[in-house]
Amino acid sequence: MSATGEVGAGSVGAAGKDYPPVTFAIEAAGVAAFANAIGADPATGVPPTFAAVYSLGATAPQLFGDAEAAIDFGKLLHAEQEFAWERQAQVGESVTSRGRVTTDVSRRGIRMVTFETQTVDSRAKPLCRSRALFVIRA
Amino acid sequence: MSERSVTFTSDRIAAYAEASGDRNPIHLDEDFARSVGLPGVIAHGLLQMGILAVVAGEAAGGAGRLRRLSCRFAGMVVPGDTVTFTADPPLEGRIELKAMNQRGEAVLTKAMAECDR
Repeated sequence: MSATGEVGAGSVGAAGKDYPPVTFAIEAAGVAAFANAIGADPATGVPPTFAAVYSLGATAPQLFGDAEAAIDFGKLLHAEQEFAWERQAQVGESVTSRGRVTTDVSRRGIRMVTFETQTVDSRAKPLCRSRALFVIRA
Repeated sequence: MSERSVTFTSDRIAAYAEASGDRNPIHLDEDFARSVGLPGVIAHGLLQMGILAVVAGEAAGGAGRLRRLSCRFAGMVVPGDTVTFTADPPLEGRIELKAMNQRGEAVLTKAMAECDR
């Protein structure tokens, strides 16, 4: 699979598709707004699930906007989520994420897409991994 | 045990939409949400998971000690619902988590965290 996310003609589903890296700058104002929205104390640093923004949120729009992946956004439900961290992110750093479709299966009209994102820091050291399971209803 | 009860409001959901960048209209627009078969606007699963992570972080002795967090979004949360998020004390680096609504239904299932030991 190429870095540009091209798949060969005749591929079934979007499994194996990957997307170009996306860099996100973690800034104090955005972190504070997020912390307030989930009821965390903004003084305690970047909330772990700010990964929903810097990791999953940075990359999922590439999947949703990919005509080849053909995700029907209106019928999409977020069914499961996992985040794993090597360390928690810090305000002021820039992180880079790459998203990839790892499985894409349809059963009785219900499509299940697993989308994984690997996020590294500015020294290319692993920071966070996200695994989202999306269900697209019939 | 760490615990937090949160009553969800449309304002809270809108604040999360703004802060997270997830402005899917199922979270913001009553008419749109009904048009796709929902009872009305629903809370983001990731908003629920964010609150769950706060409680898990308290149990872990600090959010910075969390290493993994996972859950299944099993039930819809709508404005007016009160969800109680609980985290057991860590046992060998694992934290059992729960999120139950006011009717005693689990809105998050298979919820668990791992933390530094």
